[in-house]
Amino acid sequence: MSLVTSLIMRQMRVPIIILIMGYSISILGMVLASGVDDQGNPWHMSFFDAFYFVSYTATTIGFGEIPYTLSNEQRTWALITIYLTVIAWFYSLGKIVSLVQDPMFREALKANQFSQQLARIPDTFILICGFGETGHALAKALTERNIHTVVIEENDKLIQTLPLEDFPLVIPGIRGDARDPEKLIQAGLQDKKCAAIIAVTASDETNLKIAVTSKLLHPEICVVCRSEIEEYESNMFSFGTDFVVNPFETFADIFGMAMHSPSLHLLYDWLTGVPNTDLTNPIYVEEGHWVICGFGRFGHDLYKQLLKSNVQVTIIDPSEKKREEFLGRPENKNNDFIIGTGFDAHTLTVAGVTKAVGLISGTDNDSNNLSIIMTARELNPDLFIVARHNKKSNEKLFEATHANIIMQPSEIIARKIRTLLVSPLMIAFLNKARNQNPSWANITISRIMGALGESVPSIWTLHVNGDEARALCQVLRLGRVIRVGNLLQNPRQRENQLEAVPLMLKRNQKLLLMPTNDIAIKSGDQILFCGTPGALRSMQWSQNDIHSLNYIMTYEDTHDSFIWRKIHQLIKQSDRRNRPRRKRHIMK
Amino acid sequence: MNREKVVFSFFMILALTLNFGFFAGEVDNPSHHNVYELFAVIVVNLIATVLKFGDRSQMGAMLLATSLVALVQLFSAALVWAYVVNIQGEVMTAGTMSTIISLSGGAMIANFISVILLIIETSMMRH
Repeated sequence: MSLVTSLIMRQMRVPIIILIMGYSISILGMVLASGVDDQGNPWHMSFFDAFYFVSYTATTIGFGEIPYTLSNEQRTWALITIYLTVIAWFYSLGKIVSLVQDPMFREALKANQFSQQLARIPDTFILICGFGETGHALAKALTERNIHTVVIEENDKLIQTLPLEDFPLVIPGIRGDARDPEKLIQAGLQDKKCAAIIAVTASDETNLKIAVTSKLLHPEICVVCRSEIEEYESNMFSFGTDFVVNPFETFADIFGMAMHSPSLHLLYDWLTGVPNTDLTNPIYVEEGHWVICGFGRFGHDLYKQLLKSNVQVTIIDPSEKKREEFLGRPENKNNDFIIGTGFDAHTLTVAGVTKAVGLISGTDNDSNNLSIIMTARELNPDLFIVARHNKKSNEKLFEATHANIIMQPSEIIARKIRTLLVSPLMIAFLNKARNQNPSWANITISRIMGALGESVPSIWTLHVNGDEARALCQVLRLGRVIRVGNLLQNPRQRENQLEAVPLMLKRNQKLLLMPTNDIAIKSGDQILFCGTPGALRSMQWSQNDIHSLNYIMTYEDTHDSFIWRKIHQLIKQSDRRNRPRRKRHIMK
Repeated sequence: MNREKVVFSFFMILALTLNFGFFAGEVDNPSHHNVYELFAVIVVNLIATVLKFGDRSQMGAMLLATSLVALVQLFSAALVWAYVVNIQGEVMTAGTMSTIISLSGGAMIANFISVILLIIETSMMRH
């Protein structure tokens, strides 16, 4: 019995017993009271009559005095019946209403609903702790790729918005403190279907606790954590957290990529973006004089990236201590540190904004950042501006500044985690792509553009195994050769190419970038593709449907049922018989 | 002493004793079996069943099941009685009476099992 029914039953015990007592006393009384029938003979109600009478009286339906007019003695009992049973009903109904309004009961009802939704998830799910901006973006991205997610969030308001929003899959949400192991277990941490847990609450400490709890209670699952502070980051790694995502480091990394190889950055942007949105334009970061406002975690990480290039940097920060520390280091001797906030024109002029090529406004206060950008733009309209955007609600304002790069921590984290979970091969691909020469990225970009057109592609991985590519494995077992190019043929129209590009082939831990069409596929291969959603669907046909695959390979439609096969054979044989004889080709 | 336990045991044992009272006597003799007693058995059984609501233990589930069985048997007995006497308007015959009594006999066994379970539970409790 579930907790909810048990709670209702327990609460309803007294009202139901009161109802039973009221009814039984009334019925007994009506039976015992003596009356007179229509011929004047003494008469008693039977239990049947009495039950009928009490039933319509208690529910205030009141059919009247049936079957005969009641005697005064019976009317006395009828009076008692009316007050007893009607009050008993009111009491019971009141009890039910108060039970429904009881906060504890509602909590139990919600928990019950949650566990039912959890049980209804057919395959694996990902548990997201924290439904803030990052959690929201992740839940949306994952459900759009048909991956079930479950949310645990402390803020009641955020949980209540969950059913109102239009996600492609139902997302069960539970309110609770994710630091509490009991709550995490209730949210499905120990469930066999739980494949991964993502800790993206605002506090590093909470994320750390979640990671520890998950590694202790369900060691097999993948744990992904958000962390902004280095100490916590190394702490998380120390007990085997699979991935720790630091928004500042990640952004600095991307920024570095944009600086050193704009085309690689563009490739990264396309392949990790939200599918079906418009493609972005390349960003060219110039070398020269840069000004960094705010030397916190963000400013510091970007500074390290700038140091790698031929760049002169001036830093503006109000902290004396940071200045001394900065100037004390030998590698900083070419660069300058000015005490100030940066949102006044004077400091910016002293820092050389008028002659600078770029400005990074990286304080943790959105108003300050906006003010810095506006002032700097006035002093030097050609500046390349990198803006740090902290609160989602200020999105419109930052868009209006037309900054060249806007860094939004929750967006950065969501993108990184999405890539980690949805296409793990993509990370390997991007890492390998960095080691290629710059022209490689350009060639790849033009290939993708040529095949797919102007929108962000979907990414998928083809695992050549019995589960995901049935037909493919079946044919491979027969010893036939299937090449990468075959998979790119359209299973409806063999001559047409699918709008997809193979990015990488993984075989026995070896990675091959941009596999060519003539490479033969082997069982156990993993191939990373990018393409349109339609191409993905078509490719799934040729992977799993033997007829589609046959068609691609041989041009022939095969038949499934016995009779059709026989008919087909007969037709073929008669064709062969009627065909005029030709000289045989010499087989190679 | 637990007041809840007293009330609970009281109703369960009363259900059994009343049931026995109604059941005792010649099976086909209407004068041996009182309609008021059947009424009392049904009411007490109803209350005993409701008292078992919401108990999540294994024993609680068993007790609820036996009570429900007893209720089904008693309701059918009452229905037979009401059908023959009030709906068909016939006089109580020996055949009808024996049907009613055998149904209530079944209910008595269910009530008996209830009491046995109650005794087992009580004896298993350590203080």
